[in-house]
Amino acid sequence: MKQTVLYTRRSRIFATILLLIVSIFVVRLFYLQVIQHGHYAALADQEQLKKERIPAMRGLIYAKSDGKPSLLVMNETVYTVFADPAIIKDKQEVVDVMKRVAGGNLRTDFEALLDKTDSRYQIIATKVTRLQADKIKEEGLSGVGFQAVSQRVYPEGSLAAQVLGFVNGEGEGLYGLEGYMDADLQGVDGRLETVTDVSDVPLTIGDRNVREPAQNGDNIVLTIDRNIQSYAEQALAAGLKRTGATNGSVLIMDPTSGEIMAMANLPTYNPAEYFKVTDVAQFNNNAISKPYEPGSDVKTLTMATGIDQGVVKPEDTFLNTDAIEIDGWTIGNATKGKTGIISFQTALTWSLNTGFVTVAQRLGDGKTITRSARETMYQYFHDRFRLGQLTGIELANEAPGILYAPDHQEGNAIRYATMAFGQGLDATLVQVTAGFSAMINGGSYYTPTIVDGYVVDNSYDPIDAPKPVESGVVKESTSDSMRAMMETARASSFGYLDRQGYKIGGKTGTSQVAREDGRGYKDDESIATYLGYGGTDMPEYVIMVSLSGEGRELQGARDALPVFTDISNWIIDYLKIQPKG
Amino acid sequence: MSYQQNNYYVSRRQQNWSRNQNTTRYTSAVKLGPVTHTILVALMVAVLGLIYLTQATRATGYDYEAQAIDSQIAELDQQKSELEIENARLTALETIRSSSVAREMTTPASTEYVNQ
Repeated sequence: MKQTVLYTRRSRIFATILLLIVSIFVVRLFYLQVIQHGHYAALADQEQLKKERIPAMRGLIYAKSDGKPSLLVMNETVYTVFADPAIIKDKQEVVDVMKRVAGGNLRTDFEALLDKTDSRYQIIATKVTRLQADKIKEEGLSGVGFQAVSQRVYPEGSLAAQVLGFVNGEGEGLYGLEGYMDADLQGVDGRLETVTDVSDVPLTIGDRNVREPAQNGDNIVLTIDRNIQSYAEQALAAGLKRTGATNGSVLIMDPTSGEIMAMANLPTYNPAEYFKVTDVAQFNNNAISKPYEPGSDVKTLTMATGIDQGVVKPEDTFLNTDAIEIDGWTIGNATKGKTGIISFQTALTWSLNTGFVTVAQRLGDGKTITRSARETMYQYFHDRFRLGQLTGIELANEAPGILYAPDHQEGNAIRYATMAFGQGLDATLVQVTAGFSAMINGGSYYTPTIVDGYVVDNSYDPIDAPKPVESGVVKESTSDSMRAMMETARASSFGYLDRQGYKIGGKTGTSQVAREDGRGYKDDESIATYLGYGGTDMPEYVIMVSLSGEGRELQGARDALPVFTDISNWIIDYLKIQPKG
Repeated sequence: MSYQQNNYYVSRRQQNWSRNQNTTRYTSAVKLGPVTHTILVALMVAVLGLIYLTQATRATGYDYEAQAIDSQIAELDQQKSELEIENARLTALETIRSSSVAREMTTPASTEYVNQ
């Protein structure tokens, strides 16, 4: 009986101790698993759960070549090689291997960087190709790592550089199409969240795996034809060399759709090496970003306004005295001697300012450029031909230019008198070319466009043919008259330069350059332009050429016209335009 | 070795459900105690655990295979991309222009058009 009591007592003591120990475990486990649950769950996630960004591939950019997409901008994976000097075992081996495999990609001071043992990360080579990276990996160097980087590649080099723009080190598109359509080209990154093993291999176990695939950027096909673009750049370069001009632009447009066939600017740069450019002005696409006083090219628009309003006809005459007075200011002709009673055709052929100031007067009371005349001119220039405003072309940094309305204090008679022959307003090449195209194509204004379609799943998907944003800009009869006037003007002096069997028309322009202080024009500098078209029954291309240079007195007929002629004669064959007659 | 035969009365419902079964049951004389039951349950749990582990390991094995295939796809994609770049460079206008074939070409003296 006594033993039983003792046995029971010891058992109780043992059970109590056991209970205490178990209680300690329970309390500790409760603390760890319930109270500290969040903390340890986070630690476990940090160790096991891997979150990765799946980078979207930036969209490719194509030009057209014989109507098919041809790559202009691609993506390439290259590697940045970095070293951890603290754990490099054999520095000389690293130096030897790197020099042998990636000599051209090494940083000049890379050997010194390997000595910085207090640093854990030193970039020793950049833009190493996959093959080079594989060779370095085969050597099994300790303390050397690789980081994959995507970069843009330009198989056609600097072709259409200002149209394309470039992508900076942060992956941001700047200038040109890269800048304007950056969001479309970038795409949307995907997301991967998964439990991984010690080797970072994603495991399917667990219910928290997330895999959202990346949406790659749009692959854009431009309206630019690479062959026309290339020829335009060559012709422009030859023009600059021949004339001594330092800057030049060529714009080629399809007048029946507004599609840009080529847009060349010089000087240019290689977008793959944008960081080497010292003058950022080279990034600008002057055809859309640099408004200037277009000069005599605009005389065609003034004449079209007069014909469309029924106040003049090509064969109508006026008295030319080589000077005309407006509000106390005397406006003279650059070409002297065509005085007397002459036709407006003669005024266009010889680019006589007095003729077009007369047209502006006839839009009013016939003697002065009245408010009514100015309003009519503004309606045509601004509202119909759309000068002095953004065209909406899909390129970054387009500039609107300036065109003063008649109710503006600057919109007086003398302003509109000078506007009649292309001064007193600022417009870009693309604005003038688009307005001119509307004038010669029967009166339909098309928004200039550079995007022709997309490549989706390796198939070309063209967008619908552009539609005119406005019809009836001028009457068809006005358009016919203007083409006849310009063809006559060109044939009278330069017809021998053109291919026979085609209708080639155009207008020279020699623009004065405004002084920086706003007081008049420079005496020693002018911009040469030529604006023309070609085709058979209807124009099939419009070409605008502009040449300029600081301190250079350039002339439309002497300097810009040969560039037009060169391109025009070539493009007839390229577009397979058959002659008539 | 003896056995006991028992007769049970069954309800109508149960009778309907097991219409084709014998109405006579035999009960074994071997009795399993609570410890045996516990061990059996533990064994069953262990077997189920092993089955789970086996399946999970097999799934993980597939993950490694999938990872290897993904790596292979990525490698091939990159090679394809490099070949496309090389192709684009070889067909670039500048390359064509400087080729020996292009250098031998001449500008046509005239162009004739045939109306079909």
